[in-house]
Amino acid sequence: MRPVAVIGTGQTRHARRRDDVSQPELVREAAVAALRDAGVRGADVEAVLISNMELFEGRALPELWVGDAAFASGKPCMKVSTGGTSGTSACIAGFHQVAAGLCDLLLVVGYEKHSEGHTQTGMALTDPFWDRAVASGALGNFALSVSQYAAERGVTEAQAAMVAVKARRNAVRNPHAHLQMPDITVDEVLASKMLAHPLRLLDMCPQSDGACAIVIASEDRARKLCPRPAWIKAAVTRHDQPYLGDLDRRLASMRTLRDAARVAYGLAGIDEPLRQLDVAEIYEPVTYAELAWYEALGFCPDGEAGRLIEDGVTSMTGELPVNPSGGVLSTNPVGASGVIRVAEAAAQIHGRAGDRQVPGASTALATGYGVYAWADAIVLGAQA
Amino acid sequence: MSRSSQTPDATRADRARPRIHVAGIGSAGPTIEDPRSIPEMVLEAVEHAIDDAGVNMRAVDAVVTASVDLFDGLTASSIAVTEVVGAVMKPETRMAGDALCAVTHAACQLWGGVYGTVLVVAHGKPSMADHDALTAWAMDPIHLQPLGVSFRVCAGLVAQRLSEEDPGAPNRWAGLAAAHRSAAGEACSRQDVRDSPMVASPITRAMCAPLADAAYAVVLRRTDREDDARGAALRSGEPRRRRGDRRVYLSGVGHDLAPHSLGERDPTQWEGLRRACARAYAHAGVDSAAAFDLLEPSCAYAHEQDQFVAAVEPRPDALLSPDGGLFGGTAPITAGLSRLVAATRRMRAQPALKRALAHGTWGPAGQGQAVAVLEASS
Repeated sequence: MRPVAVIGTGQTRHARRRDDVSQPELVREAAVAALRDAGVRGADVEAVLISNMELFEGRALPELWVGDAAFASGKPCMKVSTGGTSGTSACIAGFHQVAAGLCDLLLVVGYEKHSEGHTQTGMALTDPFWDRAVASGALGNFALSVSQYAAERGVTEAQAAMVAVKARRNAVRNPHAHLQMPDITVDEVLASKMLAHPLRLLDMCPQSDGACAIVIASEDRARKLCPRPAWIKAAVTRHDQPYLGDLDRRLASMRTLRDAARVAYGLAGIDEPLRQLDVAEIYEPVTYAELAWYEALGFCPDGEAGRLIEDGVTSMTGELPVNPSGGVLSTNPVGASGVIRVAEAAAQIHGRAGDRQVPGASTALATGYGVYAWADAIVLGAQA
Repeated sequence: MSRSSQTPDATRADRARPRIHVAGIGSAGPTIEDPRSIPEMVLEAVEHAIDDAGVNMRAVDAVVTASVDLFDGLTASSIAVTEVVGAVMKPETRMAGDALCAVTHAACQLWGGVYGTVLVVAHGKPSMADHDALTAWAMDPIHLQPLGVSFRVCAGLVAQRLSEEDPGAPNRWAGLAAAHRSAAGEACSRQDVRDSPMVASPITRAMCAPLADAAYAVVLRRTDREDDARGAALRSGEPRRRRGDRRVYLSGVGHDLAPHSLGERDPTQWEGLRRACARAYAHAGVDSAAAFDLLEPSCAYAHEQDQFVAAVEPRPDALLSPDGGLFGGTAPITAGLSRLVAATRRMRAQPALKRALAHGTWGPAGQGQAVAVLEASS
């Protein structure tokens, strides 16, 4: 397979409402930033992939409307839509198109403008016979799974609150991040409104308006255009049962992410992820999920995620900084959230992550999470 | 992704690119109002395709689906089919556009060397809703949707424009629609088409391909991995096709997105289709449409055949929608894959047919265009 690299990344300012821009303008803002970062022009882009969850804005086929803003007119363009993994899956589709030789320079743009729709409605249109009555958006089903996970692994509310504090304090270093909470404390998280036991308001991700784009290049173009390309070492997807009740101990097992990571690590030559990864940008929609993902991703044995966060292993100064960007807990335009994970991981390897840069990062993990238990795992490295 | 030993140094026009065998095809419908659920329809199509390929589900490395949430009224509408397409604990990607986009993605997975066998599945169930009304939600919500513009309205504007230049065109389109409907098994005359209710002047109802519920599935396999030990071990029995039947290969893909606003392009000219064809021809090593014996366009309106012919310029003696094309019933989003299935079926049966073009389109007035080049050999 041809080597493929991410050579540029760009993001909008993310916020609860971006009334100053339309959806195409939001897309344009990210696309232009990514092209500028890569040192290329819109005319250089040969193909485009769009990521978006159209029901959140109540649209159909939104790439038709926003494609022009993504420099797609007159070019190959298609849209990927797989729930929360839309962004990472679109990036993987882009890797495949370039690797297959369909093009040499491709733009992926993910976006969501939650403020122009009703996300809860968009998330609740599951199977009308078996699922819709119980799957009331993200909150209810996460409360069930988190309760089970926390009980099984002995995770405490305080440990989950530490994840919330880490994420929001990291986000202060990220000028794009939606939530800016420099003074947040564990006590503040524990005192925040209970939404569905054990999930409190500050355990949850926000809904953001925002977009993110990456430029993917073939080996020749990457070497010419980027001083330190972020090479794709592995990209693995796993989907699972469509019904919540069919998933065995969902967060506690998270067999999709576990298997995707196992295969991705194998392809990337990683035996000890905690030691060999320099940084991880993981898709954590709730605090407890980040702890569950530590175990699924092999950062620690099952049952030790609470200790990992308490010991600061995943903090900015720890052995493996997780989500220096502030993660999904700080910024969540769903169609873009997966692209943001890849962009942030790539920017760390590019050495262009600003105040949130992990010094010398050369191997990075990005993950996607969607629906009940769909997962993507992507390993990026400084070496082709 | 880092299996560096596989297909090194592939280039865009690399003729050494591994061949992709259209190993299995299957369908459910089209049926005007199928009483079954989406998963039930998709399961039937998948089972036919898997059976046709002579493999079982364990041989499938990855799945690519095509559907649109708003048309289905479902969140992440591939959730509805995850189990029946066999994607549990496997890679699955959903393309929200014409199903030939899903074929393109699957082809990239195969050409890139990531997988050896990919299942492509598309479904559409327009009987669940007023599809034309839903298409209004795909229009620019600031400048077009408030005017009540839908895909059908756009088709009417295009047909109006074409008929201004050629006043006899509507009568010819009536003849085309009647011929296609007859080829698809419906007794229909030119006068019947002309007498049917006007839906978007000058388009009458019978000039529109009937919306129907349908699902299609295709198994694509890299030929260099087709006979590996695992594939042989997993064969579930004798393929439905006889040994020695003609094999059909996918040799090129191309797609394109034109500007959205009708004022930014001439919607009577399918320039996007020309560009998509040029890309696919480059992959397949084809010089022009003269190479095709069979063309299966996705023309949801009779006048779109004129646009297709003008853009592609097929040989006069080439077969064009011999079974009536979409006029036998069409489910949105599935159209391109339905054409690939129809072309494959006919190429297997008619040895004289060497090369075919399958076509799909999505969006208003042909904004999105996709094509696939198929080649047959004994």
